[in-house]
Amino acid sequence: MADRRADVTWNGDLLGGSGTIDSVGSGALGPLDVSWPARSEDASGGKTSPEELIAAAHASCFSMAFAGALAKAGTPPQRLQTSAIVTFVPGTGITMIALAVEGTVEGLDEDAFRAAAEDAKQNCPVSKALAGVGEITVDARLSA
Amino acid sequence: MPRIERSAHVTWEGTLARGAGHISADTGAFAELPFSLPSRVGNPDGKTSPEELLAAAHAGCLTTGVAGELSRAGTPPEVLTVTARIVMDEVEGKGHVIVASEVDVHGRVSGIDEAEFARLVEIADEGCPFSILIKATASVTVRPHLDSNEESVGETYG
Repeated sequence: MADRRADVTWNGDLLGGSGTIDSVGSGALGPLDVSWPARSEDASGGKTSPEELIAAAHASCFSMAFAGALAKAGTPPQRLQTSAIVTFVPGTGITMIALAVEGTVEGLDEDAFRAAAEDAKQNCPVSKALAGVGEITVDARLSA
Repeated sequence: MPRIERSAHVTWEGTLARGAGHISADTGAFAELPFSLPSRVGNPDGKTSPEELLAAAHAGCLTTGVAGELSRAGTPPEVLTVTARIVMDEVEGKGHVIVASEVDVHGRVSGIDEAEFARLVEIADEGCPFSILIKATASVTVRPHLDSNEESVGETYG
């Protein structure tokens, strides 16, 4: 069982106040500033947000599941480059997550690469946890 | 309503068991954070993981939600401190599954009692986009803790 933790402090009201992701259990990140305007407007001002952290979690989880599936099929990747875009509509919620992956894998054709990417999208723990997101897509391309 | 996009990117090299990757946020708030399977399911050894990032997302999401509900009720918080824990377990036949998120919300808020604080935390939890998603697949526990406000106690007894 793996237990992962994060600590956040907030000062003041929602619109005028601000917060900090003070630390995480591993010590890998923080302190990181957060605020409502930075979360809910196009311009982030360089601040992270729950949605960006979800994008980071999903891109990393998907990459591991994909590497696992490719290795199990006998074609481990040399390199995978993944991005995740999380769409947030304030008042409605998280409506979409778009994954995109480009991979360098020897001995695999484009169709098999796409099928394995689709499988990783279905099965990575973060995809399963966030199955309630209306639309999760993956665009997979094999590097030439 | 505006449609906000937030993104991150990851590079992974090698197999699942022996490979390793790096995570960067596109806002630039964090970059090139290393992660690997051993540090994800075992001792983190200073490395982050998808589950730790979800813990940060959940804590951040609930924090803004609680600040919003308290502000709307006319009792904005002085300070909120929120801790979230994401638990991933190996479930027979399903592999690794995110089974729980546990959140402690500590607040220093003037002019509010424990019951009202707990009620507003619950409303925030019901409205937090991350809570809504994770509740569909894992157990979510949110514990409110109203910290005693020494000033108001002083006024009561003074």
